[in-house]
Amino acid sequence: MHWSTVPFQVLLFTVVFLALPGVMLMQFGAIVFVSIMSVAALGATGYAVLSWSRSFFELNEDHLIVHTGLVRQLSREIPLSRLQAVDVVRPLLMQILGLAELRVELAGGDSGEIRLRYLSHGTAERLRASLLAHAAGLSGRTPEAPEWPFYRLPFGLLLGALTFRVPVLSAFALLVALLVAGYMFRELGVLGGAVPLLLGLIRGFHGPLLRYTDFYSSLSPDGLRLRYGIFQARMQTVPPGRVQAVRIVEPMLWRVLGVARVEANVAGYVGERQMDSSTLLPVAPRRTAFALVNELFPGTDAARVALHRAARGRSGNEAVGTDGGLVVTSHGTFTRVVEIVPEARVQTVRLTAGPLSRWRGIATVHVDTPPGPIRAHAAGRDIGEARRIVDGIAERGQGARMSGTGPERWATRSERPGPPS
Amino acid sequence: MTGIVEFDASEQSASPVATDTEPGGSAENTGPRRESAEEASVAAAPVSSVAAAFAAPAHMTWTRVSPRLAWYRRLLLLAPALPVVVLGGAVVGLWWSWQWAGALAGLVALVVAVSWLAARSEARAWGYAEGHTDLYLTYGVIVRQLIVVPYGRMQVVDVTSNLLEQVLGIATVRVRTAATTVDPRIPGLRFDDAVVLRDRLATRSETFSTGL
Repeated sequence: MHWSTVPFQVLLFTVVFLALPGVMLMQFGAIVFVSIMSVAALGATGYAVLSWSRSFFELNEDHLIVHTGLVRQLSREIPLSRLQAVDVVRPLLMQILGLAELRVELAGGDSGEIRLRYLSHGTAERLRASLLAHAAGLSGRTPEAPEWPFYRLPFGLLLGALTFRVPVLSAFALLVALLVAGYMFRELGVLGGAVPLLLGLIRGFHGPLLRYTDFYSSLSPDGLRLRYGIFQARMQTVPPGRVQAVRIVEPMLWRVLGVARVEANVAGYVGERQMDSSTLLPVAPRRTAFALVNELFPGTDAARVALHRAARGRSGNEAVGTDGGLVVTSHGTFTRVVEIVPEARVQTVRLTAGPLSRWRGIATVHVDTPPGPIRAHAAGRDIGEARRIVDGIAERGQGARMSGTGPERWATRSERPGPPS
Repeated sequence: MTGIVEFDASEQSASPVATDTEPGGSAENTGPRRESAEEASVAAAPVSSVAAAFAAPAHMTWTRVSPRLAWYRRLLLLAPALPVVVLGGAVVGLWWSWQWAGALAGLVALVVAVSWLAARSEARAWGYAEGHTDLYLTYGVIVRQLIVVPYGRMQVVDVTSNLLEQVLGIATVRVRTAATTVDPRIPGLRFDDAVVLRDRLATRSETFSTGL
């Protein structure tokens, strides 16, 4: 850990102490106040120094060992073969101080995350590189893997795409209408509606805008690297084979622009982090989005998979295709969503039919993957066809899993897992 | 390839256990037999597409669970229903009128009777089949479900049996995968069968194991 956390913690504790019981202590005179404050500050310093000296981590062959805590000591040993993603996060204050937080995502629910807080930025970057090198099966002294640029999001496109959405435009129109009405009728009551609307607009618009400013993604042997954000700079690395499923979302107006958003299921990103980290491309041309999917699932071509429309007309353009090692479903009349799951990554396949669907002779096929924004399913299939889809996925899935060597130690393998023959 | 050969051997040794689910009571033996009769009719005449869609995989039949599962469901239902009738009836009868108490009892009796009958078909709907590479599982009367779980995707296989299940001598085998949206489980297995099935599934999950 970085030494600068110590004065930082002391300062924080002293300020909090001053604000809460400190104000009351002022009544007892300056001498009592100063002495008690200095005792508190000294105590905080001692505690911070001790806990700092006790918290450390080591990298040992295939394991990352993290020790933390003074009163309640905790030591975790993490096998790097389970590593799902590595993120370096730097909020504004940390950027000023030159610090960074390293998050190691593991598949294991909400607690399956290791946070190494307050490393110096250089250390965090080096540690990230060597963690990935170890996980790839190389020695820790391997220099950082080279990368080649994949996509840089121009600010204009981000701004335009974020504005050009039905909820944003309609909220903005409503806001303008409210303000005009309020001005014309000299009625302050409209503020009751306008202010929440404005706050909602700021939240829905500014949030993503600030998050994804300066978005840059690149490909490397370590996997997909994403860098984005100004006030909270983040760098995500998703190793190859750790993306379980992908979806390409095209909101109605974005289809006019020909842009889409790419989201993914990564086993470590659950709960709160799912919202944070599961977006791989916030705004990108449709072709780039599909190109990324092809990079993530090498040897496949998602755009080429032939989609078959649902047999009976259901609202929403339901379609499914199973081809070339991928299961691709698409639905949505207005917002078009294409969900892509490689057959090798499928966990379970389900066929469900309620009483009404049975009467109509249709069923739904669900393809389950580790939790994330994508829950691939194809509704409204003819019931016999649905069973054939299920059996087909189950049958080919076994072959696909067997031909791939698994995602561990990806660098020392002779070749990447190819498409199932 | 050796893994598959091994698996075939274990399948051979396991099959008597799987078919001989219910040695006690002639009434309990109707489950699997009825199934085979159905299979015969499948071969003879074309069946509805729904039945075909939820049929066991080719050359296999569903292994049905013990009928004691129905009793388990019924007892689970009676446990709250009896106090509701007795206590609620007494309270209603004393405070309002005994006619209302009778109505309450009648309503509860109706619910119990419907569920009593439903429990039978619900228990019969459960079935599993152990394929070469996947476990097939079916259940549900109103919403029919078919789940295919590859052996290689099983992370944890465990057997649970609560107090009531222990009294009835049944247990639930639960399989966990990395997907949390489904909960593949087989309730109402005889306890010994459940343990054997768990061991078999655990062995196969190791044989077919792949990384996440």
